[in-house]
Amino acid sequence: MGFAFHRPENLDAAIAMAREHGEAARFLAGGTDLIIQINRRRLAPQHLISLAGLGLDTIAETESGYAIGAMATHDAVVTHPGFQKQLVALTEASAVIGGRQVRNIATVGGNIVNASPAADLVPVLLTLDATVELRGSAGTRSLPLDRFLVERGRTERRPDEILTAVRFDKPPAHSATAFLKAGRRKAMEISVICVAAHLVSGGKARIAIGAAASRTLRVPHAEASVEKGGPAAFAEAGRLAAEQATPIDDVRASARYRKLLVATLVERALERCAARIEGAGR
Amino acid sequence: MSGQQRRVAGKRLKRIDGIGKVTGKHVYASDFALPGMLFGKVLRSSEAHARIVRLDVSKAAALAGVRCVLTAKDIPQIRFGTAIKDRTMLAEGEVRFRGEAIAAVAATSLEVAEAAVRAIEIEYEPLPAVFDPEQALQPGAPLVHAGWSDYQALPVFDRDGNISGRSSMGSGDTAAGFAQSHRIYEHRFTTQHVHPGYTEPRTAIASWDGNGDVSVWSNTQLPFDMKNMLAEVLDLPANKVRVIVPGIGGGFGGKLRVGVEHFAAWLARKSKRPVKVMTTSEEELTDAYPRQPTVVTLKTGVSRDGLLLAREGKVILDCGAFANSGPATAAIALQVLAGPYRSPNLAFEGIAVYTNKGSTGSFRAPAGPMANFAVESQIDLIADDLGIDPLELRLRNVYREGDRGPAGETLTSVSIEECLRKAAAAIGWTQRKPGAGRGKGIACSWWLTTGGSSGVYVKINPDGTVTVVSGAVELGSGAMTGAAQILAEELGVDLTDINATDVDTHVSPYDYGAQGSRTAFSVGNACIAAAKDLRRQIGELVAPLWNVAPDSVRLEGKGVVSGNKRMSLAEVAGLSQRTGGGLISHGTAIQPMPVFDPNRVKNHPLPAWTSHSFHAHAVDLSVDDVTGEVSINRYVVAQDVGFAINPTYIEGQIEGGVAQGIGQALSEEIVYDGGRVLNANLTDYKMPTMMDMPRVECILIEKPSVNGPYGAKGVGEPPCIQPPAAIANAIAVATGIRVQALPITAEKIALARLKDGD
Amino acid sequence: MTRASLDLTINGETHQLMVEPHWSLLQVLRGELGMTGTKENCLEAECGVCTVLLDGKAVNSCILLAEQARGRSIVTIEGLGDPEHLHPLQAAFIEHGAVQCGYCIPGMILTAKSFLDERHGRVPNEAEVREALSGTLCRCTGYQKIVDAVIAAARQMNSWPEQARRSS
Repeated sequence: MGFAFHRPENLDAAIAMAREHGEAARFLAGGTDLIIQINRRRLAPQHLISLAGLGLDTIAETESGYAIGAMATHDAVVTHPGFQKQLVALTEASAVIGGRQVRNIATVGGNIVNASPAADLVPVLLTLDATVELRGSAGTRSLPLDRFLVERGRTERRPDEILTAVRFDKPPAHSATAFLKAGRRKAMEISVICVAAHLVSGGKARIAIGAAASRTLRVPHAEASVEKGGPAAFAEAGRLAAEQATPIDDVRASARYRKLLVATLVERALERCAARIEGAGR
Repeated sequence: MSGQQRRVAGKRLKRIDGIGKVTGKHVYASDFALPGMLFGKVLRSSEAHARIVRLDVSKAAALAGVRCVLTAKDIPQIRFGTAIKDRTMLAEGEVRFRGEAIAAVAATSLEVAEAAVRAIEIEYEPLPAVFDPEQALQPGAPLVHAGWSDYQALPVFDRDGNISGRSSMGSGDTAAGFAQSHRIYEHRFTTQHVHPGYTEPRTAIASWDGNGDVSVWSNTQLPFDMKNMLAEVLDLPANKVRVIVPGIGGGFGGKLRVGVEHFAAWLARKSKRPVKVMTTSEEELTDAYPRQPTVVTLKTGVSRDGLLLAREGKVILDCGAFANSGPATAAIALQVLAGPYRSPNLAFEGIAVYTNKGSTGSFRAPAGPMANFAVESQIDLIADDLGIDPLELRLRNVYREGDRGPAGETLTSVSIEECLRKAAAAIGWTQRKPGAGRGKGIACSWWLTTGGSSGVYVKINPDGTVTVVSGAVELGSGAMTGAAQILAEELGVDLTDINATDVDTHVSPYDYGAQGSRTAFSVGNACIAAAKDLRRQIGELVAPLWNVAPDSVRLEGKGVVSGNKRMSLAEVAGLSQRTGGGLISHGTAIQPMPVFDPNRVKNHPLPAWTSHSFHAHAVDLSVDDVTGEVSINRYVVAQDVGFAINPTYIEGQIEGGVAQGIGQALSEEIVYDGGRVLNANLTDYKMPTMMDMPRVECILIEKPSVNGPYGAKGVGEPPCIQPPAAIANAIAVATGIRVQALPITAEKIALARLKDGD
Repeated sequence: MTRASLDLTINGETHQLMVEPHWSLLQVLRGELGMTGTKENCLEAECGVCTVLLDGKAVNSCILLAEQARGRSIVTIEGLGDPEHLHPLQAAFIEHGAVQCGYCIPGMILTAKSFLDERHGRVPNEAEVREALSGTLCRCTGYQKIVDAVIAAARQMNSWPEQARRSS
């Protein structure tokens, strides 16, 4: 259970530490997942490399988009002034991760790198065509979030790479986002199913579902049907999304119920987007 | 006898232990520590039913910092248990559920103790196991306790193989009743394991002194029962065991019986150091005292007008691998099934059954929610079928004053009709289906105020304050504040003049325990008795000084008064202390047992209920038309409390009990897969959060009891009884879907709807 | 494992400690410093009884490494008010009957304080209180009187910010 705790002074030092200790080291973001896994004896790193104090916690706005630093907390996302309108799904998702106490420490980067299929923020980021920025000993690179996620607990991150930021473009006018989550109670839930949608009026549709497969899924068939068919196609999109989902039976819910939830929540998330577009247009 | 005529009792006063709790200074058992203390951990079985073929603790004992390792061979194998002595502290040779304790370790830190437990080597030879109570009743089912007939047990219980206790209750002629019935209904209901969910883990710190006496600091609800039980397991005379309760973070019946006290005591004895043992969430959800799961079958015959003509019912209660209070709970279920309805022809049976799962116990209102879920759901099913309003159907059948209860006892202070009418009016019963996906449901019940004796010592100090020493633990309900309010009322002082001490079995008078809704009732009565004696002592002291008759002396306004003579209470106390040892008295209380007909009950440990209360719940909820998610719009409780000693804390009991009931109704379940718990953590054991709870509207009805202090009745348990039935009934109205298995999850509703071809 | 020195600022005082890197802040508070006002239960951020303030924000101390609190300010229930000068939240919890067994109360009060402080005096409504405090479980009260107490305290703190500042 014991480990050494390292506080690198800059990113290069952090990367060098990771290289030095290899598999025996883990980066520490908020720790709300990592520490629990260590306490449950599922992980036993010998070195923790803290990513605090490396300037990774800001949320930066550029002319074309946003860069959320990997160490930005969920609380920072919930309260960010730029995320209250068209990007409101970011706040809707961040606001239901654990309780406030968790959101004050847990980070966006942690939510992504953990690669839990039930991660709440990941579906929203996928619908925004987000890219992740990684920095390691081989340099800096970016790749689409959709490619970064491999399956439960696995990403394309190399052991000495740090996820430094997630970036996405500002959505166009006449667009909206929505996020919906289902659980057995109304707070403190790991999603039984979660759904994110991003709709551009007369344009693209993006739908992502969580806790419905071995990783967070985009559902291209459903998206295509919406892009072709408009509001009449929302129910059909739900049905197609449910078809693509491969949920499991577990103590939280059955696969059958999860499919039902996917179909309904996708339809509702799309309806909400449409209503938001209409509401903003007035 | 309303609150308006009293100065202290009946008022919404601040609880006497509040400041310590809001400042973090209140010491709970889990906060308690002694110098040189070791930390104890327990090795638990990973098999549901198996023989232990190899157990090697040598590596554990060799770890640096380990001071003691115990297995069954290191301690006398003494069987203990409430109804049946079927359990040993550590499994000897055979384990009977996954999670049963096999070995215990004490070490200089928790980490070392945990490492030591992991270093113990063990091999099992699996034995046939049974997990379903109905299967356990089949001939040829594996026996959970092959040696059951050798166990000592309370003679009232009828045992046989996997049956740990069977009770029955009956009157009249059900066959004749069914023959006369217009219609007969048969239904089956099931309920689940739910955990009491206290936020403070079970904890004990044990320390032995030079005389071979042991002191145990514990968060138990029953310090005297714990003392006796520990004396048994430690093979000591009871007077060498002292139990002290510094403070307790919730109990709800889950901290009645031994949890970790015996581990701490034995480890401390062998290591010769104080030892602290505390449960983890995982241990709480695998080896604790959750509610028993049940299967309830009801057969009810009714007249055309919906009168209950004949009722037969069976409760099968899965008590897990050790009986604990299962047999008694199976018996209490019968009264819950019966009332509060007039039933001329009645035949109920309760059967507690062993299975190879974790033990169970007396979570708040044992048997209440399970049996009530069945009865009150069926009443609605009957009402729907007959085309009678469910409220009306109930009103046609409920008890009236002077009726005979199920054991033939005479029922007094009957208020069930008033409870039903008020709850229904408050929820707006005339509009049962206010809109699509929305519905209202109602459920009612009765409950007892548990008996058992209480004693208090009361002394009036020379500064005018009053100290009360009681053996009853303050669980948080405010019961001791209530008892103190009664005492203050009797002595003419303020609540803030009363100090209550902690419970220490060496010092405190005996109390039957903080359980069964009895604490404020019984301790309150004991305080009234003590106050009466103090008034006598004070009268006899001042009468000769003032030349008045002793019985003309009154206590009021912190003073002692007769005619125009007055002394402050402080002065009188000081005078008594100087001249006669002080104003000290003791008071005791016990409820008389009602007269009942013993022919109506068989093998029943609690045949007639004392100081029964009545209550009705009404709920207005909405159900999502696809996901099945339930949102509660309003929740109303009408509860007959006899006399509201402190309305704020009574409301607190109602609001909290309803929360637990809502948890049982909608989301809580210890999920077993065979013998394994799948959700032994708080992530997946889903208790209601602040966002899941509606506001609960409390209607306090005061129909005085005969035996309670100022007419009070027990209030703590009833609120968790009706929510599952009320909610099931409302969901049926909202959706047309009737779920007869708890918890009623969104999934169950949604999938039932699919089946119905919605 | 070797211990490392760690200075922690708790309730305005600096404590010089020797801690093992894997120790949680909760372990340090209760075990090393004997500050048992902060409670322990699930140890996996599901119940909130271990809540403390870290730079003014509510966090679960059970999964926060003590090391993560280096250089930051920690406030526990012991640092809030005292029996003679209760913080408005503490007074309101007693006044409204929001305290039963009390085990969740230190965590609940600090969660509430963090929430109210970030609102800079704006009194919340019931739904907002429930959302903000949903990370702390209470099994005794059903939450209702806790919600009432928090709103009452907010009103009091709003009208007498001076008093709130003195006892915080």
